[in-house]
Amino acid sequence: MTAFESLDATASMDSGHRFDEKRRWAASLALAFEARQESGPLVTRLTRARHQGPLRVQRPFYPEGQADACHVYLLHPPGGLVSGDELSIEATVGNGAHALLTTPAAAKLYKADSHGVAWAQHTRLRVDDGGILEWLPQETLCFDGSRGEQRTTIDLAGSARCLGWEIMALGRPASRLPFASGRVEQRFCLTRNGRPLWLERQPLDPQHPRFQGRWGQGGATVQATLWAVGLEDDQAVAALREALPAAPYWAVTQRHGVLLLRYLGQERNQAWDLCQHAWEVLRPLLTGRQACVPRIWLT
Amino acid sequence: MAMSTKPGSDMNDDLALLGLMQLVSPALPIGAFAWSQGLESAFELGWVKDEESLGEWLTGVLDDGLARCELPVLIRLQGAWAAADDETVGYWDDWLHANRETAELAAEDMRLGASLTRLLGSLQLLPEASMMPRDAGYVTVFAWAAHVRGVPVRQTLLGFAWSWLENQLAVACKALPLGHTAAQRLVERLRPALVEAVDMALSLKDEELGPVLPGLALASALHETQYSRLFRS
Repeated sequence: MTAFESLDATASMDSGHRFDEKRRWAASLALAFEARQESGPLVTRLTRARHQGPLRVQRPFYPEGQADACHVYLLHPPGGLVSGDELSIEATVGNGAHALLTTPAAAKLYKADSHGVAWAQHTRLRVDDGGILEWLPQETLCFDGSRGEQRTTIDLAGSARCLGWEIMALGRPASRLPFASGRVEQRFCLTRNGRPLWLERQPLDPQHPRFQGRWGQGGATVQATLWAVGLEDDQAVAALREALPAAPYWAVTQRHGVLLLRYLGQERNQAWDLCQHAWEVLRPLLTGRQACVPRIWLT
Repeated sequence: MAMSTKPGSDMNDDLALLGLMQLVSPALPIGAFAWSQGLESAFELGWVKDEESLGEWLTGVLDDGLARCELPVLIRLQGAWAAADDETVGYWDDWLHANRETAELAAEDMRLGASLTRLLGSLQLLPEASMMPRDAGYVTVFAWAAHVRGVPVRQTLLGFAWSWLENQLAVACKALPLGHTAAQRLVERLRPALVEAVDMALSLKDEELGPVLPGLALASALHETQYSRLFRS
């Protein structure tokens, strides 16, 4: 097969304009951050931003100063995923670079079409030895009847540091439209030097006994998972327990060098505040820098 | 009279069965009694408070935990041991460690694995040192023991699930507390569920594996700061 034919095949697959079982709309974004020696100290530069379809980044900026983290907002103008959407987000952070990624608004997962076609989102985060990545997207709102898989893969090398979260709210409680049908699965895979340190899957199926069962979701409509790698043993866990009021809806633990904070509850704001507060506690321990709240969260 | 009931008809099968009973006995000195797998925390949280809610919890953990994690991985591990495929043994051992949700669940797996390794070593039953992964987890060592005893895979799974159930009920008898007759009623209730869990484990493909126990994970992490506790997990 020639390169031409293969390009052509991809193009016809991605063009969409069909609404049957094979409906497929792909969008991707690949970012790379590298530390560059310019006039003064090392500066983290966005050295690649390749995109296809409706995924973009705003111009990177440096609210903490040029020598500090490079902040980037990821934009997905459609604002949500429908049947057949395939979103692929890739970010690579090189040695000595420090990137902070967030989004300007909540992402939405819409009800599947009449064929029940699923959407898919895959986020791949790669951090080289000596790099730092903060992955702090705003929450995902999953509407009734949505079907799809949200996969987060984190590949670390050597002393790479990474902190991130996924916050998901099910249904539209304000409109009394609970997540009563559909099936959404969240998956996490974190490796260091190719070896898995944390694997987790969270299928959300409102018809399954675990959706209400205490061993499972326990009726929670909002969940959050925060991870952090590159912290000193146990110091961070103790700091979080000290700073955040104890409650049965959240807990923190550290295993195989990965700190995991989990929330299972009913309130989007409670989950968000918990994660943001935890990040503010962890950031100085992880990076030696105070948290610098992205202004977009306040708008 | 059927052939199999004749005395001495199948020496190897009999030895394998006895080997399995030895391996899953609460008398096996590996300290399994000290771990509750989040159950003690579920008592504290009021999520499990009586025979009925304990039955629901155990059925749920069996279906969403063992049947999707330990049992199907036991199949793969025992197969890998039988094939002397140490790369595959290492892969699934890593996979199990990475799936442990909390510090205590990870510690339980590693401590029981280390204890069982020591015990098998003193019985001269270990494989070559290079075959056993470093810090091998309990399931990995259990699969090896089942393999050297010649236990058929399906029985390995039934035995593993049985010892889990007995241990969980022992935890409940001590800490809930649950009466011993109530515990036996739960055995009766869960016996068919153990068989279903084994059937499900045998049917799952690799990409379908992984425990789905978010509530148990939360309870287990909360147990780390529980004020008064009898168990180490």
